[in-house]
Amino acid sequence: MKHIRAAVARVAGFFSRGGADDDLRDELQSHVEMETAENIRRGMHPDAARRQALLVSGGLTQAAEAVRDQRGLPWIESVAADIKYAVRALRRSPAFTTVVVITLALGIGANTAIFSVVRGVLLKPLPHREGDRLLYLRHSIDGPGGANILFSVPEVGDFRAGAKSLGGIAEYCPFSFTLQGKDDAIRVDAGLVTGNFFEVMGLSPVLGRLTRPSDDGTGVPPVMVLTHEFWMKRFGGDSSIVGTQVRLDGKSVTVIGVVQPAPWFPDRVDALLNMVISPHHLSALMIQSRAHRMTEVIARLAPGASLAQARIEIATVYARLQREFKGAYDPGSHYRVSVIPFNEVLGERARLTLWLLMGAAAFVLIISAANVVNLTVMRGIRRQHELVVRAALGAGVGRLRRLLLVENLVLTLIGAIAGVVVAIGGERLLISLAERYSPRANEIRLDAAVLGFALVLSVVLGLLMSFVSPLPKEGTFATWISAGGHRVSGSLRKQRLQRGLVVAQVAASVVLLAGAGLLTRTVIQLSGVNTGLATGDVLTMQVPLFSPGNMGAAADADSKDRYDRMRREMRALPGVIEVGVGSTMPLRGTQVGLDVKAEGKSFAVGEAIPRADLRTASPEYFRAAGIPLLKGRWFTSTDRDSSGKVVIINQTFADKFFPNEDPLGQRMAWTGDVLRFTPFSGDWRTIVGVVGNTRDGGLDAPLHAVVFMPFAQELAFAGGMVIRSDGNASALAAAATRIARRIAPTAPIENVLTVAQIKDQSVAPRRLNAELVSSFGILAVIIAAVGIAGVLAFSVSARTNEIGIRMALGADAGRVQRMILKEGGVLLGVGLALGVAGSYFATRAMHELLFGVAPHDPFTLIGVTVMMAAIGIVACWIPARRAARIDPAITMRSQ
Amino acid sequence: MAEKSEVKQGTLALMILKTLQILGPLHGYGVARRIEETSKNRLTLNYGTLYPALLKLEQEGFVTAEWRQSENNRRAKYYSLTAAGRKQLARETREWHQTADLIAAFLAPRREA
Repeated sequence: MKHIRAAVARVAGFFSRGGADDDLRDELQSHVEMETAENIRRGMHPDAARRQALLVSGGLTQAAEAVRDQRGLPWIESVAADIKYAVRALRRSPAFTTVVVITLALGIGANTAIFSVVRGVLLKPLPHREGDRLLYLRHSIDGPGGANILFSVPEVGDFRAGAKSLGGIAEYCPFSFTLQGKDDAIRVDAGLVTGNFFEVMGLSPVLGRLTRPSDDGTGVPPVMVLTHEFWMKRFGGDSSIVGTQVRLDGKSVTVIGVVQPAPWFPDRVDALLNMVISPHHLSALMIQSRAHRMTEVIARLAPGASLAQARIEIATVYARLQREFKGAYDPGSHYRVSVIPFNEVLGERARLTLWLLMGAAAFVLIISAANVVNLTVMRGIRRQHELVVRAALGAGVGRLRRLLLVENLVLTLIGAIAGVVVAIGGERLLISLAERYSPRANEIRLDAAVLGFALVLSVVLGLLMSFVSPLPKEGTFATWISAGGHRVSGSLRKQRLQRGLVVAQVAASVVLLAGAGLLTRTVIQLSGVNTGLATGDVLTMQVPLFSPGNMGAAADADSKDRYDRMRREMRALPGVIEVGVGSTMPLRGTQVGLDVKAEGKSFAVGEAIPRADLRTASPEYFRAAGIPLLKGRWFTSTDRDSSGKVVIINQTFADKFFPNEDPLGQRMAWTGDVLRFTPFSGDWRTIVGVVGNTRDGGLDAPLHAVVFMPFAQELAFAGGMVIRSDGNASALAAAATRIARRIAPTAPIENVLTVAQIKDQSVAPRRLNAELVSSFGILAVIIAAVGIAGVLAFSVSARTNEIGIRMALGADAGRVQRMILKEGGVLLGVGLALGVAGSYFATRAMHELLFGVAPHDPFTLIGVTVMMAAIGIVACWIPARRAARIDPAITMRSQ
Repeated sequence: MAEKSEVKQGTLALMILKTLQILGPLHGYGVARRIEETSKNRLTLNYGTLYPALLKLEQEGFVTAEWRQSENNRRAKYYSLTAAGRKQLARETREWHQTADLIAAFLAPRREA
């Protein structure tokens, strides 16, 4: 109680000093007068009495000072004075201040920016209610395309019945629609969901309502919930949209609400609908077939249940299913289910890249901190004279320490503010990077937590700088004063610290450069991958005319007719060499993969059933795309519905089924349970041609077996145009889009891109990685070079006298230069050795981000070491030259 | 003449409170004189010690201060004990006696058993 009262009184005293000072003066005055009167009464002369009174009382000013300390908050008052002093001192050495602030701004800025991404994408709690209890179930098999094969409705039902640790299991089927607008049509990526989806996800509406269990089943009207992002983008956040009807694939659907902003997985979606819109999703086929896997599963842990329990239960149920339904789980494919926390699965693609960048940024910070500490130590030594004077005037060690602390904190805080500005500048670039890896990129903010991070960094750096500044122990000022401040400067201990920091800088730079080198080589390797396509200028454009609600023969014939007209008109554009139609654009991944068999070929039991990508192509497609024919013939216009079914296979397919024989004339067929759910037949098809492999779905993706079927012989289930030009393909984009728009006014036109652009899409994210880490690396090298040069220069200036004596005794300039070079060379050598050792461990962690280059690639390591050594030697050279130019006569005289 | 010493830390507040209890409202000079006299001039009090201590007691609410005319018609700041101050004095007196007893017992020459 008394402490509280006293504290309140002191704070009050802090703010109302003026009146209290007068009061105190009066009080002390009256004391002196009473004392004087008493002395006079005792017979003293008035003057003597007054002098005596003052003497006895111990000095008025000191008393007033002591009372003031008790009255207010002297600590704050003197800190304010310290800050004022610090600012003045920093302004007096603008070069030092500028270098430190810039170095800190870069170090803190890089870390703040990357931390904001790490936090937004990986660390921040999910916006979902109790988002940490959300789970994602993943079904995988071996082989290309097997990483995520989804679940069938019966499987989901079995999990629901058997896994009691899951409080709710929601189904989500990716689907896409064409949304017909007033004067355009766009593709809408959507999810068909069960009524419990939003309840399980823990999401709330911002407008209207969300789907609920009463929206399940047949006989209900189709309803649509918009995602927040799509609502803003397409409808401009117009709240009157709720309750209105929109046309999806020609059907009327009611918009019932808008859901809160949330990350969507596995794909970004625009809208979520109940299942009734797709008759297929409620058909017996879908509901009853165990192998008909089209459903993503998201679950919520039941209250009190743990992740481990859920994993055990799901594994138990799944093991039973595999025993009971052997036909649905080919043993050779290694069917498996993993239960992954939702926030983990959201971050899985971003995690490695982001931690890599965070690590790189941390290295930059270490290097800049080392530089700043070195600069501070050097400045501290130069300031010893000043500090000695302050000490002589009565400042204690504690007071001096606090002065330095305040000064350093002012510095690092300015650095942090500049760093935040740097971070704001880099934020856009980083968000665009994060968008490639994470659905949570729009949650990246420079918020209080991120600013707090920058603040903590700066305070820690400030403390570090103050801790290393040389200050004598209490009571040893005399030594300092007698040394005049200058002698102490070269103290071996400090030099050892400085040298250690230089070694650390060099080592950290080498690690960063090694990482940058490997990532750069990855980009070079990736760009150098042969796509399998003939070079040339090719424009592609997706114009899907197919929609599940429009599958009749007449509709299909109409679609094919439109594609043919588009092809002819585009072919007539100036500069166009060839135009083809196909289901899949060159270098794109294929949407449909099915089990395949070849006539007379059987595979051993236990071996995975072979799968192949299914594509359709017009006769001109291959020449337009530049896919080379290795054997046989192209499709011809006579490969029609009526004629025998023919296919062209790629090299991978040929190698798999016909390793030692001629594939031409052999027959293949689609097979497997899933085939029943597709519009494709399991008829035998004769192989008439073999084409070269192309790198589809990313330059680093594994090669797939591919089967092309004549576009005219199959359902036009997807479609796009491939346009080869003799010059500038991208210049054709506008004209080609106009043709497509006119001939297919209700179709969305997407991804109007040249093949070169598609290729670049698979290199771009890695290039951005490489560029970021490389710029960190370059930054690090520059800072480290400045660090080496600075420390050596300092060492030279501290040893000026010694060098002068050496020269006077006969050492020539070359010898002095070599001496300094050697001093720097040792630091450089140790740093390089440590750096190479460090790289060995650091690069191993990033092997998943590399392509075509080993983590311990010797060329990269040697190159990096040579580069760092060269820069380091240059950095040593400058101070060494200066040392060699020392004039002994002048140095000796200056003493 | 006995050696003069500074007031021991922590004891000054108690002395001030006791002085105010015995003599009633008093100015700083009077408190100083009283303490010096009571200690038979073994203690000296300078302003730098006395006035911060008075201010601290005032901040803690144990004394109040007001300007009055002194007996010699001078204006002086008079300090007087508050109710909280009286309680604090009783408590500190008790604690002081306990401490003193304890220290005395501790320092008393032990008889060999």
